[in-house]
Amino acid sequence: MKTYVCIKYVPDTSEAEVKVNPDGITVDSSRFSFDINDADNYAVEESVLIKEAQGGEVTVISIGPKQSDVMIRMAMAKGCDQAVRIEDDRIAGHDPLMVAKVLAGTVRDKEFDLVLTGCMATDDWHMSTGVALAEELGVNHASMVNKVEILDGGRVRVNRELEGGLLEAVELELPAVLTIQTGINEPRYAPIRGIREAQKKELKVVKLEDIGIDPAEVGVEASQIVLEELSIPEVVSAAEFIEGEPDEKAEKLASILIKGGLL
Amino acid sequence: MSTECQTFTEKYDLLGCIQCGRCTGGCPVTVRADLNVRRFVNDAYYEDKLEELAKLAEIWDCTACHTCAVRCPKGLKPLEVLLGLRAMIIESGKVEPTVRDALQSVLLEGNPWEKSRASRSDWMEGLDVKIAEPGVAVENLFFVCCTIAYDPRVQAIAKNLVRILNKAGIDYAFLDNNESCCGSEVFTLGEEGLFEMLVEDNTEFLNEFTAKRIVTLSPHCFTTYNVHYPDLNKPVIHYTQLLDDLLKEGRLVWKGDLQKKIVFHDPCYLGKQGGVYDEPRDLLKNIPGTELLEFERRRERSLCCEGGGGKMWVESESKKERLAETRIKDAKALGADIVAVACPFCVLTLEDAMKGLGYEEEMRVAEIMELLGEFVEV
Repeated sequence: MKTYVCIKYVPDTSEAEVKVNPDGITVDSSRFSFDINDADNYAVEESVLIKEAQGGEVTVISIGPKQSDVMIRMAMAKGCDQAVRIEDDRIAGHDPLMVAKVLAGTVRDKEFDLVLTGCMATDDWHMSTGVALAEELGVNHASMVNKVEILDGGRVRVNRELEGGLLEAVELELPAVLTIQTGINEPRYAPIRGIREAQKKELKVVKLEDIGIDPAEVGVEASQIVLEELSIPEVVSAAEFIEGEPDEKAEKLASILIKGGLL
Repeated sequence: MSTECQTFTEKYDLLGCIQCGRCTGGCPVTVRADLNVRRFVNDAYYEDKLEELAKLAEIWDCTACHTCAVRCPKGLKPLEVLLGLRAMIIESGKVEPTVRDALQSVLLEGNPWEKSRASRSDWMEGLDVKIAEPGVAVENLFFVCCTIAYDPRVQAIAKNLVRILNKAGIDYAFLDNNESCCGSEVFTLGEEGLFEMLVEDNTEFLNEFTAKRIVTLSPHCFTTYNVHYPDLNKPVIHYTQLLDDLLKEGRLVWKGDLQKKIVFHDPCYLGKQGGVYDEPRDLLKNIPGTELLEFERRRERSLCCEGGGGKMWVESESKKERLAETRIKDAKALGADIVAVACPFCVLTLEDAMKGLGYEEEMRVAEIMELLGEFVEV
């Protein structure tokens, strides 16, 4: 089984205050901590579990800066065999279609059975890179996958998470792209000795030309998405404190809910 | 494998153990978990048992309080056998998600609390804090600790200390965002590789500063630096030692009148492991209007609060009474109004226990620095 797993280095915006830079289209990331995108971490674990069960090899692909090497080494410490990091400022990173083209260009001429991605990234929340990647590669895909079972005869059976607690089970012919949902497994820890050991594995750093991609096809000019403005949602005060004895409070609350059409 | 086992036996001096059982006899955790450290020391000798032993849940019950080491007549550290077994699990990567995230956060951000390095010194905002610079000599170089730097509940320890140092005119400096975890909990969680890296990096970092001494705010950093950092080029003391000196020199000016009974809980990393017992008591006794009580289990017999040994990230399977609850009940029976501690972990565990027991109205858990902040002129 030859698997590619695509991972992204993202800021943790849950703790630090997010500030938009004066250019209006980027945010000040100086106070953020960065780590592997949450769903991608599960994709890495799933790729390693598949390798452990089926044999084969796993290649990590990531578009990102040098600082993200630690994230890639962690994935290799967990069991991924090699990695390609594309570092190129000319990629229109805000557009998932352009990102998918770059990832597809890295995989296209190689032999592969599976490409795993996280189902969404916690910085831009597009939820579309994996699906666009399947389209670019011309292979099957399943999104929001929370169970993977490799079948005989070059097929895979997966469960997809739908809304309202529903699951959809589908069988796909390989090769295929699966976008992995969080919770599918429990990602392991990458011990520091493993990370050091992983320094021996190959991490190729490439530019667009190295993987045969014309920069004009994946740059800002080629993108049909123009990032116009980022803004912080306006904080509005909408809290209402209900006063009174418990039965009065309950009555008032019920009437608010009924009026609001919530009951 | 035989070489590995040889290493394990040698590393923990398993053959030095006479199986007297004083370790297990004194282990505070035995009242709530099936942990028999003597048995682990015995069984770890058999190489084919190591993997099986490492899978036992009770290896994660040890709080690294060091009671076993204090009581061992052969001067061994039986608890470290458990840490060695934890290391085997860590190397496999299959650890609790909470442990995984804490360790990864130490590697990436220099703290186990999953906070960004860039916000490490946010607690200094609004305070006049002197910041250390390599090459600029100071007497006291302060090391804050990850928990005190990031947890709003215990940041008062650092804030009050700064105010008191400024008022007393002490020559000091604090480290900026480049301060990194001392590795106390990394060591006890068994991440040996990461701990070795921290020792190397922190030694190099701290040795660049010119200071007479390093003063730690947490006893965990205090003991870790003193025990595991052989190449540090300056001595490391705990803040209670420095403030006790200031007290004796008459440089702390008291105010107010507490009119409360205080009982001091000896933190394991300050007392049993660091040998500091009297200084915290001296400080507390001098707070105006204080009556200092003593637990029956005090000093080297002090009951562990279960905050160390990486237990902040590992929940015990036992549903029996927490040791922190036992401690709070003991304090209540003594008639104490305040349980004073000198450790951020003890504050968090004991305060949780106090709230859980519903004693919030009548009792208080306070770090010594919190009390000094209220009763020393600044």
